[in-house]
Amino acid sequence: MNRDIVGQVLRDYQALCRPDTDPELEAVRAAILLEDVFGIVLSDAEIDPALLTDSSAVADLVARLRGAV
Amino acid sequence: MCGVCGIVSHDGPPDLGLLRRMMGRLVHRGPDGDGYYRDRRAALGHTRLAIIDTSGGAQPLCNEDGTVWVTFNGEIFNYIELREELRHRGHIFRTASDTEVIVHAWEEWAEECFTRFNGQWAIGLWDRRAERLVLSRDRLGVRPLFFTRGPTRLLFASEVKSIFADPSVQRAFDPAGLDQTFTYWSPVAPRTVFRGIEQLEPGYYAILDRDGFRKAPYWRIMFPERGREPVQDTQENADALRDRIVEATRLRFLRSDVPVGAYLSGGLDSSVTAAVIARYTDAPLHTFSLRFSGSEFDEGQYQKKMSALLGTQHLDIMVNASDIAAIFPEVIRHAESPILRAAPAPLFLLSKLVQENGYKVVVTGEGADEVLAGYDLFREARVRLFWSRDLGSAKRTRAAELLYPWMARSPGRTPAFARSFFGRRLDPDDPAFSHRPRWDSTSVIKNMLSQDMQDQIGRADAEDVVAAMPPGSKDWDPLSRAQWLEMTTLLAGYILAAQGDRMLMANSVEGRFPFLDRDVVDFADALPARHKLFGLEEKYLLKRAFADVVPEDILHRPKQPYRAPDAASFFTPDHPAWFDEVVAEQAIAAAGVFEPSLVAGLLAKCERTGGEHMSNTDNMRVLAVVSTQLMHECFIVGGGWGALDRSLPDPSVAVDLVGEDGSVS
Repeated sequence: MNRDIVGQVLRDYQALCRPDTDPELEAVRAAILLEDVFGIVLSDAEIDPALLTDSSAVADLVARLRGAV
Repeated sequence: MCGVCGIVSHDGPPDLGLLRRMMGRLVHRGPDGDGYYRDRRAALGHTRLAIIDTSGGAQPLCNEDGTVWVTFNGEIFNYIELREELRHRGHIFRTASDTEVIVHAWEEWAEECFTRFNGQWAIGLWDRRAERLVLSRDRLGVRPLFFTRGPTRLLFASEVKSIFADPSVQRAFDPAGLDQTFTYWSPVAPRTVFRGIEQLEPGYYAILDRDGFRKAPYWRIMFPERGREPVQDTQENADALRDRIVEATRLRFLRSDVPVGAYLSGGLDSSVTAAVIARYTDAPLHTFSLRFSGSEFDEGQYQKKMSALLGTQHLDIMVNASDIAAIFPEVIRHAESPILRAAPAPLFLLSKLVQENGYKVVVTGEGADEVLAGYDLFREARVRLFWSRDLGSAKRTRAAELLYPWMARSPGRTPAFARSFFGRRLDPDDPAFSHRPRWDSTSVIKNMLSQDMQDQIGRADAEDVVAAMPPGSKDWDPLSRAQWLEMTTLLAGYILAAQGDRMLMANSVEGRFPFLDRDVVDFADALPARHKLFGLEEKYLLKRAFADVVPEDILHRPKQPYRAPDAASFFTPDHPAWFDEVVAEQAIAAAGVFEPSLVAGLLAKCERTGGEHMSNTDNMRVLAVVSTQLMHECFIVGGGWGALDRSLPDPSVAVDLVGEDGSVS
């Protein structure tokens, strides 16, 4: 799984999903997607709106949790 | 679409009178004509709803030399392509029907022919030379096929009531069938709710010949190992899915010699199929919809919007609780199974509207929720899986709010509800992880069973659905396992049966389902799970593939499960007299399924509220009791045949090779 695929997944997510007005809930929604698609498990600290709306940060996070870039 | 039946006898020619009585119970499936064939071992019966080759194509139909005969319910949508292939191989066709393709395909390819069919079918085929009966059913169970076997004969039919035309066939509930119904919402093939009556599994064929009875699958629901799906690119898959759905819809709309209409529910699936018809065919389109007087269930605004957008000639029918109660006994006579929702009843009224307006065929969006992951159950399972990874996480608990908007509006209720409902059975290694909450909550119905019925269920040897999952399923995506369970249980047993074929055919209307097309299903099953359920976005690829033909507000509206008033239908001030009779203490005791005192308590609770605002469990309990009692009255006691026994017209095919003296010509 490389950065291109992470980027594609996030673009697809942003294009279709309706952002929730509650940022924390939106972070939970993103976490469900990321855990399912990439087979990772996020900590509560990582289920963070600031982190999960930044494509580059998410790519880094996914890479770190998967143990490979 | 038609009714089929037959008898194979080992001890003398089949009883033609019995065959005709069996056919008489299937006239609603085929009011346009009928026919029969009999020789010294077998008899085939057919009631016809003429759709393809209306002037030819009468059944039973045979091959060139009369050695292979078939009675067929359904459609082989790729019959034109198969006919050309068979012609090139030397087969001679006398009709333009899809039925004739079956006999030649059997001659050419034997049981391998079923893998070549793209359609929806129940087939009874008799090979005279081999004295071999072949039964076959389509891949996902769109068309029903029941049979009963004894030491000297086999009877088969589209509906159980046809088999019950033989008074010697036992009429009793099957405890294991009831157990499955009160767990999975329906019996799971091959089981039925009737002792000694089997249904052929979807995707199977069966053979009865000199070597005995045997059956085997020609197709199975299969998914790839997670991560090994053949195509990972989202847009490439969206384009390919669109191509397949367009072709499947075109085939189902155009391959008919009578006009085809379409259902329009107001949801995504039927909007897609109706839009494809409007965009990719030249024919005018009639659409039909259900409306509900209660705003909780009504989707009228979306139906009207879609109809106006497509320029269809639109008809709808408004249904209220009293309508449901009035027709419920007839619904159960056709459904032939206890039902846990009243939802089939309005669909009975909708197919009646279709029939009254001169239509015999409708295209619907059925199957999309199973094949492309539209049900809340799939989303719930994903949330539960997410939650199970850290049960102490406050953030993860909030995921339940993403499923149902009312939770976000009532945050105080969320944690308690989430813990009580989603927090049970959170073992991610459980192959049925997705379905445990539904099965557990449905099984509560069984607490109301009589002690005797509970004992019978305890002694019954019911099949374990989970144990039947393919060995490789442990490597599938969890969504794929959930889809397998949903297709194996609810789709075939309830959605396509009690809520599908039976409610359509009760009014002589054929349903056609593009989302259950062979090529659509095979393609969808091979997709990465994320392309179907993308995070919590259901039917993601379908929305992406058809974003240009469906309005934004329909594309993105929260999924509204098709529901109708349940318990409330039976507790209106003007409720029909039959209701009081079937739920009377004596009637409950006579049927022996439920404990009378517990039923009385449930009914008293409903009386207090008029059946309104009942819990999901109590709604299911009421429907289970009422429908089971009607089943007992109609099928076990056997007094409810009046509306179904119809006289047969003169047969279009009457081939009897058995002389009055029993000689065979």
